[in-house]
Amino acid sequence: MKFRYTLEILTIIAIVAFSVMFLYSSSNGYGEKFVGTDSAGSYAIAELSGTPLENFQPLIPQWKPPGTEIESTLFALQAAIGGIIVGVVFGFWISSHKKT
Amino acid sequence: MHIMEGFLPLQWCIVWWVVALPCILLGMYQLKKVLAADREALPLLGVTGGFIFILSSLKLPSVTGSSSHPTGTGLSIISFGPWITCVVCAIVLLFQALFLAHGGLSTLGANIVSMGVVGPVVGYAVYRLLRDTSVNIYITVFLVTAFADMFTYIATSLELALAYPAETGGIASSFILFLGIFALTQIPLAIVEGIVLALVFKYIVALKPDILIRLNIFSKEKINSARSEAS
Repeated sequence: MKFRYTLEILTIIAIVAFSVMFLYSSSNGYGEKFVGTDSAGSYAIAELSGTPLENFQPLIPQWKPPGTEIESTLFALQAAIGGIIVGVVFGFWISSHKKT
Repeated sequence: MHIMEGFLPLQWCIVWWVVALPCILLGMYQLKKVLAADREALPLLGVTGGFIFILSSLKLPSVTGSSSHPTGTGLSIISFGPWITCVVCAIVLLFQALFLAHGGLSTLGANIVSMGVVGPVVGYAVYRLLRDTSVNIYITVFLVTAFADMFTYIATSLELALAYPAETGGIASSFILFLGIFALTQIPLAIVEGIVLALVFKYIVALKPDILIRLNIFSKEKINSARSEAS
């Protein structure tokens, strides 16, 4: 039997299952910090090389967002750029689809 | 998968830049050719690239107690191949290096190789393997996306293992260590990303089947059967 909304339902199930697993693992204290893998990778590099973390200096000077709130804003800006493009194109496609 | 600025020795930064640059140039050449041949490919490029912007901006907590980025490259790999995807990834990673201090200019080559070369090449291989078989196109999109995402992080683990071999066990031992950090966290994220992008592809199939057939992304029969399934 073919069902029209199989993918939509699968997507909802996947997102809900993912959220439940995340809530369960964080409630167990397993994921107390939820540190990013990028940072975890940097800690592992420091441990493997025997060099303290603060000794890793940028090879090319780098601007850092002054605060996590600003970092979040800039991440949201990146998502917004993508979202606007996707929205405009889908809007364009839907309107031309309706015309035909 | 971002290797932070200063965390890769200079010689490895150069090696990965040397690998990344020809891939970007090839992608730019292909992009010019595709857009010159068919201007209608531009909106599709916008959508597939837009999803790389959206998904790679999200830092999702995973069940392993850490959080990580999806890559969002699956749709672009299927629609335009690995090299054009590499160009889009380079733009996203440059944005993140300049404005978010995620990755850096010296490590940009290594990050482009993992997200823009290894992931997309593996994803494209999966796509080519399944394209002309009877496998459903949404399952193909799911597998391409999930494999591209996973191999991005496997590539990052290898890049770091090569630069920082463990004292006992060498490269193999530190590769396993980095896989434990990067790849394990990524498994649930790759699965969810695969399902979400398969759903997005369903809407592209519904709205713009002609461009998918013209660019020879899937055969007319496959697209038509996917459309009839969804309606």
